[in-house]
Amino acid sequence: MSTEALSPRHSPWTIDSRTVVFGAVGAALYAVLGLFSFLIPGTQSVTVRPAVALVPFFGKRFGVITGFFVGFVGNVVIDLIQGAGLIWWNWSVANGLVGAFAALIFTVIPPISSEALRHVVTALGALIATALGLLFIITDLWVLGIDFNTFLFLNYLPALLANGIAVVILVPALDAAWEPLAKRAGL
Amino acid sequence: MDVTPRYLGAGSFLARRDPRVLLLVPVLYFVAVANVADLRGMLVCAAIALVYYRAAGIPWRGVRANWVFMLTFTTLLVVVNSVFTAADTRVGAGEALFAVPLTGTEVTWATLSYASTLLIRYASLAMVSFPVAFAIAPSDLGVALARLRLSQRLAYGVDLTFRFLPSTVAALRETIDAQRVRGYEHSRSRNPFRKLASLKPVVVPVTVNALIDAEDTANAMDLRGFGAKHRTWMRELAFGRTDYLVMGGFLALAAVMTAAKFFGPFGEVWAP
Repeated sequence: MSTEALSPRHSPWTIDSRTVVFGAVGAALYAVLGLFSFLIPGTQSVTVRPAVALVPFFGKRFGVITGFFVGFVGNVVIDLIQGAGLIWWNWSVANGLVGAFAALIFTVIPPISSEALRHVVTALGALIATALGLLFIITDLWVLGIDFNTFLFLNYLPALLANGIAVVILVPALDAAWEPLAKRAGL
Repeated sequence: MDVTPRYLGAGSFLARRDPRVLLLVPVLYFVAVANVADLRGMLVCAAIALVYYRAAGIPWRGVRANWVFMLTFTTLLVVVNSVFTAADTRVGAGEALFAVPLTGTEVTWATLSYASTLLIRYASLAMVSFPVAFAIAPSDLGVALARLRLSQRLAYGVDLTFRFLPSTVAALRETIDAQRVRGYEHSRSRNPFRKLASLKPVVVPVTVNALIDAEDTANAMDLRGFGAKHRTWMRELAFGRTDYLVMGGFLALAAVMTAAKFFGPFGEVWAP
């Protein structure tokens, strides 16, 4: 057992048929499951979208390009379905970066034999990737003309809280379910 | 659950344009309105955005809910950030009209002018963005992105994403039904951790099954030599004279507004 995200034959930057298909499947899953969300009690607008956990998971398992594709295209598709078009394009890029950072983080983490420790590292890595990727929404300062406090307290921290809860709980669960199948399939 | 994009503007002036125009116009419009603080400048841009939106022929009945959601959300955002609190506001030199109870924020004409500018900016951005959602045929997105010099493989990936949507919804429904037969009920707890944990029996099997099926698709694509040669598309895209005119118009708007922000009055808040 290891935390190794990608098999040795795959570079995290490769764009082959698997990158494309797993990216498309991930984006479709994100778009469909992303329509479900629920409010955190006691807050005005902090909604948890369980599907965000798919982004770091795909980044970890299938590489930088797939991770970015799932977050970016999945979010754009949700916006298209809901009719928002490309207004929140920088949030889609931020979601994509979460997947890309997850791939990079898990590429440098050495194999871990303990299963419990591996789950903890997976959750932490996904959380760090989420925190780093979401920093891109600082572009709201220029795109929407908001100030730094608005970015930090109304955009970044609530999004990090909501997404952080989802990735910490669901990414280790997804990863644990996929691990034996990936080994069997030689991925 | 309807997750397929709605092609509501089919047959309209914008739907007949090259889809690349509809993808590039919002980018140029973003450049034009970014950091515009003058209400008059914003109103000029909004008028152009409105004409563009009308050209998409999107029926009001089809997008009423989208507009209600969009306007409610942005109005709340602007009123809270720019009027009730000082999170994103401009006081200006004028006399205070009143102070907001509780927060004590002083509201001037400049404050109201800037808040109106922000609200109109969000609404006009929606006007140029809605046609992307409702006036581009979903099957055209992949080829449009490929012609915009995105990697051919990734452009095909976008195409594939739309094709996977119906089967993903079907798989989700099937999994929920199968788990219900086994006694699964979604948690009604208010605890977000418990609520998320209760989703595992749905999210995990749907994801894992989709990945197993994806492996077959990837193998089939490999067998057909996917990515070995430059990909061609059934749909031919070519810019026409009208496409160039629309693009040129928005390019000119972006150039004029950028110049006006740096050298003219539109970078400052206008107070009546």
